[in-house]
Amino acid sequence: MTATAQDLLPATRNALSLLLLAMADDEFVIGFSDSEWTGIAPLLEEDVAMSSLAQDELGHAQALYRLLAELVDDGRNADAIAFDRPPEGYYHARLLDHPRGDWADTIARRFLYDTADSVRLEALAEGSWPPLADLVGKIRREERYHLLHVGAWFERLAAADGEPRRRLLDALGRLAPDAATVLAPLPDELGLVLAGIADATSDELEARWEARIRPTFERLDLPMPPPARDPGRSRTDHSDAFRWLHGEFTAVRRLDREATW
Amino acid sequence: MTDSPPLDRPATPTPDGHTLEPWEVFRQEKEGDPMRHGGSVMAPDPELAVHYARELFGRRQESVRLWIVRRSDIHDLDDVDLLQPPLDRSFKKPGGYVMRDKLAAARERSGTKKPKARSR
Repeated sequence: MTATAQDLLPATRNALSLLLLAMADDEFVIGFSDSEWTGIAPLLEEDVAMSSLAQDELGHAQALYRLLAELVDDGRNADAIAFDRPPEGYYHARLLDHPRGDWADTIARRFLYDTADSVRLEALAEGSWPPLADLVGKIRREERYHLLHVGAWFERLAAADGEPRRRLLDALGRLAPDAATVLAPLPDELGLVLAGIADATSDELEARWEARIRPTFERLDLPMPPPARDPGRSRTDHSDAFRWLHGEFTAVRRLDREATW
Repeated sequence: MTDSPPLDRPATPTPDGHTLEPWEVFRQEKEGDPMRHGGSVMAPDPELAVHYARELFGRRQESVRLWIVRRSDIHDLDDVDLLQPPLDRSFKKPGGYVMRDKLAAARERSGTKKPKARSR
């Protein structure tokens, strides 16, 4: 337990633990989902790249779960938080509930998620709780490359006439209504802003994200994502696709709780 | 440009008309080291070539700098007549020609002294 965590008001601590859980689950689920490309990506080099990005996300999730375990201090470690919940207990955004789909789905989702995540991380980078601000600083350095990589693919699919662009438009049609769920309001988030842990509430983050992606969408003549559909349930009521993925990523843990690499 | 080295994937057209082609990757392990050839990646353009080079030769923090060169931009010379001529060329190697005594005699004649070693 870090000294500063004890200084937090109980309500602030609760809001912070929900923020950490949301961020960790987001990274965990997109990491596992994208790791499904290992072995079947469009070319060998992309196979290595996408697998490496997915691994990075799992690394971020692990660091966030560890911070959460220290903060809530209820006897669970990072692995217990990551693997020992039923599907309904996960708190990731609905954008990540969609199945992996085809390559265009994966690129569209990564683009929507990584751009929203980068706005969220930016809002925490100068925060008043040092353990989180330090970790966010490290994560942002890796996310820089993720944005460059997914941006390169997003532009190429959008600019290529015919099948690539058509598939990207189809993917955006499925995913864009859920894109803003990544930045949907969290309970008691105002407390985080008042405590100086985050520099803005979700409404402001969503506005920043729209302003950030608008030039790209306009240049590529793509429809801007609409406001989040059903924002009040952005992180609950998970899909069958997620329940299947949950079965996959908990399989080893259910066979042998003590399994290690 | 001669044929590519063996054991390589050939340039491959993709469905949208781009061509995957080989890029050679050179890497520097630490500041001050020479750039050494690391291997190659296949990519359709410079931007993705840089991304893939980074993944294959830099993701484990094993490099501080990469050079990524389109293979078709490399001038390849492997002509045996130019590089491995059949006649004796030992007279072109400094080992076969001792000039220390001749140099000392020339200095003697001109009255100049042996220069000091240059300080670095």
